[in-house]
Amino acid sequence: MRRIFQIDGEESECWLAHDGSRFVLTTPDGAVPCQLDPTGLPGGHILRAGGRAHELRLAVGPEATFVHISGRTYEVGRVDPAERLAGRDAGASGDRLVAPMPGVVVTVAVRPGDTVAEGQPLLVIESMKLETTLTAPRDGVIAEMPFAEGDSFGLKDVLAQLAPEE
Amino acid sequence: MTISKLLVANRGEIAARVLRTAKARGLATVVLRHVAEQEGPAHLIADEVAMIDGPTPVAAYLDISQIVAAAKKIGADAVHPGYGFLSENAGFVAALEEAGVTFVGPTSQAIDLMGDKVRARAFVEERGFPVAPSAIEDDDPATFVDRARAVGYPLLIKPSAGGGGKGMRVVREDSALETEIETARREGERYFGDGRLFVERYIESPRHIEVQVMGDGQGNVVHFWERECSIQRRFQKIIEETPSPALSPEQRQEICETAAGIARAVKYRGAGTVEFIYARDGAFYFLEMNTRLQVEHPVTEMVTGFDLVAEQLRVAAGQGLSAAQGDIPQNGHSIELRICAEDAGADFRPAIGDILLLDEPTGEGVRVDSGILDDGKVTTDFDPMLSKLIVHGADRAEAIARARQAVQNYVVLGVTTNTGYLDAILAHPDFASGEVSTGFLAEQAETLTAPGADISDLLMAAAALSDARMVDEVMQIPQMHRKMGGWTN
Repeated sequence: MRRIFQIDGEESECWLAHDGSRFVLTTPDGAVPCQLDPTGLPGGHILRAGGRAHELRLAVGPEATFVHISGRTYEVGRVDPAERLAGRDAGASGDRLVAPMPGVVVTVAVRPGDTVAEGQPLLVIESMKLETTLTAPRDGVIAEMPFAEGDSFGLKDVLAQLAPEE
Repeated sequence: MTISKLLVANRGEIAARVLRTAKARGLATVVLRHVAEQEGPAHLIADEVAMIDGPTPVAAYLDISQIVAAAKKIGADAVHPGYGFLSENAGFVAALEEAGVTFVGPTSQAIDLMGDKVRARAFVEERGFPVAPSAIEDDDPATFVDRARAVGYPLLIKPSAGGGGKGMRVVREDSALETEIETARREGERYFGDGRLFVERYIESPRHIEVQVMGDGQGNVVHFWERECSIQRRFQKIIEETPSPALSPEQRQEICETAAGIARAVKYRGAGTVEFIYARDGAFYFLEMNTRLQVEHPVTEMVTGFDLVAEQLRVAAGQGLSAAQGDIPQNGHSIELRICAEDAGADFRPAIGDILLLDEPTGEGVRVDSGILDDGKVTTDFDPMLSKLIVHGADRAEAIARARQAVQNYVVLGVTTNTGYLDAILAHPDFASGEVSTGFLAEQAETLTAPGADISDLLMAAAALSDARMVDEVMQIPQMHRKMGGWTN
């Protein structure tokens, strides 16, 4: 079965198989025979891969697997390629301003229907106790401003949507 | 006056920490909980939990009348404010006084004086203690910009009513001065409801050194030595230690005595911290006084052996200080790491998520003041600090080694934390030699967030083999085809 794994923003498509005696994960860098066995600790496992045994702790979340290994914690995003293909196209990313971090809307400078020029301030947000002004990524017409002044938003929420270019 | 039932008007790790001492002293204990808040360690420790409500969780913890009413209703005869929220709110102290409830902290006058940075500075300067060159808007608003200019660049703009680095701006060029003043004013108005500003000379590559003091309100003040808090991101501390590696014994004596002198000048009552900017040439200047228990107070407890919350409770109950200056040692070395839900590699963006697995370190010289539970949820409702890891060692090298070991074994899975980043700081040669300033994290940003060895193959193997759907599907394919699938698909 195939999976797309995301580590630090980099995606790798992998294939898991079993050759009768062991699992083999095929990554873009080659095939890795591997085996994972639980230890007594919560989430504790021994991973045997590449001829070595590694102690780790892991937890499987709905969209990502969290791995603590050698004193560091990593997040491995899991994407089912089939689901990605089935996903709807939500518009070109250049049409949207996506929240770079969670925060609160301080001021909203434009309304749906307004014509804006590239670089024009659209809204001021506050995150981590700092103000940031978000500007139009291109010339265009505002389609949606989903948040009002004082509203809280989450990471990756759409803060402003431009109408598609003609 | 005696205290028999204590309400802790706070949450998270500090509520849990205060409750432990209060219970050990035989007090009945109550803690607050917002109706939408996750259960935390404090709710399990307290004898009772008082529910509060408000438009947002933070607003509820700032709601003076609701909290005073809760204290009365539950029969608490004292309130410990923790840090943040209402801990430095003179109106809260006055409201408690009126309700006949003891505030575990300083008088409202001391909070008023020290809460206004400008008045505090003037007070300290008038008494001959050192302050950095500055210009204060209120002295003559019409000439503020010119007077700011005269202080000289680089300079730092601060809101008069500020704290915690909010609204602070460094200005290096005259052309940016007026715009930065306007931005700082807006931020000051929003955060503190007060747009008044002052500027002071920005000391290049300074250290932040502060001194723990404790007063009985009668003019007796002792200090519990210094803490070095130069490891800051965005003006907020994330690693603190004591003793400071920068100070000679003579300098240590001088800075600690200065702090105690300032506290004595206000007949300070309870626990407080006098913060200083320490310049490269060894000069130090009064920065501000925090009229509460600090986040980083545990390092002081580790080297002195004193429980500062117990001292606070003693003083609040009118029992005075438990020790004379000569009885307060500074043994060994202690370091605190603030474990925060944030992505250090993405500009310290706050992280949210469900805690899927939590395993906190233990061991000799290791203390964890935690505000989270396994299965908890990390939201943006509150500060991103989840817990504090505090270690003690015979000397600084041993403390660093223990801190590294412990932070590497601090397992929080499900939400991004800064444990790896904290370890990278501890591993940095400049940290090891103690050669740091408040600019250290910004200057070393690239080194500190550099990716480690590429172990993607291991991570992907772990993720694949723990993925039940993937494993099930592979095992369902008839054996002879299992491998072939890989070729044909």
